[in-house]
Amino acid sequence: MTIKIAVIQFPGANCDLDAVHVLRDVVGVDTSLVWHNHFKEADFDGVILPGGFSFGDYLRAGIIAAHSPALDEARIMLKDGRPILGICNGFQILIEAEFLPGALLQNDSLKFVCNWVNIKVLNDRTAFTHRMKRDDVLAIPIAHGEGRYYTDKLKELEENDQIVFKYSTEDGSYNSKANPNGSLENIAGICNLEQNCVGLMPHPERASESILSPKQTTHGKIFFESMIEFIKRRST
Amino acid sequence: MAQMEFIIEISLENKPAARDPVAETIKRDLLAKKGYENVSKVRSGQYLRLILKANSEDDAKEIVTNMCNDLRIFNPVTQNLNIINVKKL
Amino acid sequence: MTKVNLNGEEVSVEMPKDEFEKVKELLNREPTITELGGFDVMWSEHCSYKSSRPKLKLFEDAEANYDYVLAGPGEDAGVIDIGDGYALAFRIESHNHPSAIEPYHGAATGIGGIIRDVLCMGVRPIALLDPLRFGRLAGNSHSQWLFKYVVKGIADYGNCTGIPTIGGEVEFDDSFENNCLVNVACIGLGTIEDFKHAPSRAYNPGDYIILMGGSTGRDGIHGVTFASRTLTEMSEADRPAVQIGDPFTKKMIIEATLEAVKTGYVRGLKDLGGGGLTCATSELTGDGNTGANIELRKVFTAEPSMTSYEIMLSESQERMAFIVKPEGLETVLNIFRKYEVAHAVIGKTDDSKVLKVFDGEELVVNIPARALSVSPTFKRQEKRPEYLDELLAQPTPEPSKQIGEILEILIASENICSKEWIYRQYDHEVGVRSVVKCGDGDSGVLRIIGTNKFIAASVGVNSKHCYLDPYEGAKGGLVEICGNVITTGAKPMAMVNCCNFGNPEIPESFWYFSKAVEGMNDFCRTLKIPIVGGNVSFYNEDEVTKTAIKATPQIMIVGLIEGYENLITLPFKKAGNDILILGETKAELGGSEYHSVIHGLEGGIPPKVNEDKIRARWNFIYALYDKKLVKANHDVNKGGFLVTIAEMCFKNKLGADLDLSSYKANGLRDDELLFSETVGRFIIETEQTSFNDIMLLASEFNVKVTKLGVIINQPKILIKGLENQDISLDNVKLKDLYDSTIPNLMEI
Repeated sequence: MTIKIAVIQFPGANCDLDAVHVLRDVVGVDTSLVWHNHFKEADFDGVILPGGFSFGDYLRAGIIAAHSPALDEARIMLKDGRPILGICNGFQILIEAEFLPGALLQNDSLKFVCNWVNIKVLNDRTAFTHRMKRDDVLAIPIAHGEGRYYTDKLKELEENDQIVFKYSTEDGSYNSKANPNGSLENIAGICNLEQNCVGLMPHPERASESILSPKQTTHGKIFFESMIEFIKRRST
Repeated sequence: MAQMEFIIEISLENKPAARDPVAETIKRDLLAKKGYENVSKVRSGQYLRLILKANSEDDAKEIVTNMCNDLRIFNPVTQNLNIINVKKL
Repeated sequence: MTKVNLNGEEVSVEMPKDEFEKVKELLNREPTITELGGFDVMWSEHCSYKSSRPKLKLFEDAEANYDYVLAGPGEDAGVIDIGDGYALAFRIESHNHPSAIEPYHGAATGIGGIIRDVLCMGVRPIALLDPLRFGRLAGNSHSQWLFKYVVKGIADYGNCTGIPTIGGEVEFDDSFENNCLVNVACIGLGTIEDFKHAPSRAYNPGDYIILMGGSTGRDGIHGVTFASRTLTEMSEADRPAVQIGDPFTKKMIIEATLEAVKTGYVRGLKDLGGGGLTCATSELTGDGNTGANIELRKVFTAEPSMTSYEIMLSESQERMAFIVKPEGLETVLNIFRKYEVAHAVIGKTDDSKVLKVFDGEELVVNIPARALSVSPTFKRQEKRPEYLDELLAQPTPEPSKQIGEILEILIASENICSKEWIYRQYDHEVGVRSVVKCGDGDSGVLRIIGTNKFIAASVGVNSKHCYLDPYEGAKGGLVEICGNVITTGAKPMAMVNCCNFGNPEIPESFWYFSKAVEGMNDFCRTLKIPIVGGNVSFYNEDEVTKTAIKATPQIMIVGLIEGYENLITLPFKKAGNDILILGETKAELGGSEYHSVIHGLEGGIPPKVNEDKIRARWNFIYALYDKKLVKANHDVNKGGFLVTIAEMCFKNKLGADLDLSSYKANGLRDDELLFSETVGRFIIETEQTSFNDIMLLASEFNVKVTKLGVIINQPKILIKGLENQDISLDNVKLKDLYDSTIPNLMEI
């Protein structure tokens, strides 16, 4: 089967071309950059909402893009279990579109932070993490000003295994120093109940090639490889 | 004169001739596209509500205006101070 | 302001009386108010370079003399051919005065402006760099405020448009207290094919003129003011003194422009900056030898009832003018519609060589298209300041502190300490090109995806050195910035500069500019580095105290690395490896951090540049690179070579065991040796087994190379061989001091 992945280009997205490059040239899957108004779910097996500043992050990060017709299309994919990944601004959009629960607020330092962090895998069964193992620690960079995750339904998320990643130290322990933005319980990424939709603040597309990584790792690639395998498994 | 308590609401908005990209984008990309074309103008700003002791409504307004000027609560280069409402508590 | 008589009314203009007469001569009549406004802006120092052009003529013709230079000074950006079918455009500009009034919006709109300039060459902006100057931070809340908001303005705008800020530089000095400097640079990448078909000017009659981007409002209207009536309905209180940028619209403009350019239908492209629509259209047609017919009521405005003057001279942000081939009009307009960028067809080009602007039936502008660019030039007086002799004669006092204590103070000082607080706020990785990130090298390095090529870029200059000797200081700046690029493995390819000086009408201030230009010219011609662009900002002077800023001719160098295996980074890699210093150290402490921070002195003899020695040293380094002998490289700058070595130790928590007895020479005192800022020196890490080969090569190239010591596993710097006792420094403490200064000052 030819797997087709879409990267949705919202007005103001910045990391769309980066995601396309990794999917097409590094992972090797048929990937289309689709202008948000033109996105049709029927054409694709999986979709990525990339990072950036859609609509300038005006009013609230992700809120205006959440009303795009592209999200109506993506909602169909959400319901039928196809993989959806929201990276950084993409995560913010999924939250505002209510694909994922909670809120993403301004970093507690009140400043934008661009740095490499470590995230620990808590759920290795989502569409994007099943090539990982629980407790794996990944090196992925962040670059955001509004990444502080908050929810008043923490217990629910924990019970339903919806917390996918937490900011950690290199050896996998949690402390406030490892938390770059003040997120509740160091939460870096979550998924929906059905585990086909994942949102995270760090940028796996920036950690997929050793040439870009401080320790020459390629942990970001695993996200996309997991997605491909997930799609293949679903079709059988 | 006995001091009374007043609630005063202020907004800090971009000067009329200054761009207001946030408001423009909300109007153009959110409201107009989602069926609210009848909204003809949007301005964005920051809202503050203060409770303070003063001798009169005018006195309260003067105190807040001086305070905002003094402490640069609004950016005098690009913003104006707008007193929305004053009333006795 | 000058008062002149225009059509019976008294009017105030910026231009001197004789220029007003020239305008009348050129037009053979009195100008309309809109025309006069256009001349007033375009003939101002900022736009016309009237004081600097005569001097800048010294620079050689880069396009003619270097076959890889595709566009030189005078274009919107310098462009070079970097091979493999790729072209690189870059430019640097200043936005000093707006940033001093309103640092956040001033800096942000500065970034907006430089992005547009590079975009005009039809290439994608892929990197930003920002060299900055402020007054000292400690105890100075005004400087802290400017610094905080300039950085935030650059961060917010750059991050939002998705262009990584990969480098920069900052110096803190009293002379910048009331005149901060915000220079911004942008690099763009495209293919040679794109560039060949790139928009240039409106050289074809019958093309459409399209205005696109933000709407035209009443912000930023300069120039003429009437004595008796106002030109605009709006009062001063209602207009912002500094414009507000809109990076979201800019991002849409970038995508729409690049897509439009790829169609091949865009003949000319210009961003709207100083002088607004008047100047953009006049430049497009003037340079293209055509004319134009414009209907200004077609311009989409931000507010109703704008006058023709307001529309033609508004400097509202985020606007571009396109010249489009008639057969491609619908295609281009459809692209604008897709990205939902506002646009309007406002006119057409013709062969009249006259710019005509109609307000309905009324002709409000009717000038020869070239008229606005034929501004007069001034031959300014120059005079070496009298205070220099005394300043240069200041000797270096005997140190009253121990070397270790001095180093601790220096490494924590504002001009040397870590700038991580700044670059953590910049997204320096978007675009997935950043291979050497902020903090890991002397220059930012980007890969060119699809090739095995990398570009390195760095920016800066030493203002304190330039203050004492602008000629040697400008050369020293070139040595330093080329050095920054060389240390990551690159060969310097081309240079642009941003000259920040005081009032050119004052001979002492103009002297600084003149000497700096001579220095840049001499060095670049000798070392064969083409100057492909530049910017001049005068009048950076405190009106009240009449003190000018320290001369700051910012240098930006772009270099090329062929092959990933040739990339070098700054941190020491392995204990046991040798630490070598290239170049000799002289007692050149004039303008050094040692003088200013430890002794409170501004004077002394600053470093001098010997081009032959520099050339030999660089060629030697390239030879070392060919043989893959260099494991880490960092050039010596502020604070001297101990600072350099400490910085190389930090990342991998290594140390250094040094014996300086073979390096001391010429009767230098310990402090002079360690803290001199002689330019052009490098500290390299090499394997012990390569030592003999390296020394052989060094004698071939006639370069002084000295082994200072070895890298050790403990985070300490041990120094033997000085006049006074041996020293042991604690790197953990040094790093802590280095890291803490700016956060302590900026986070209350």
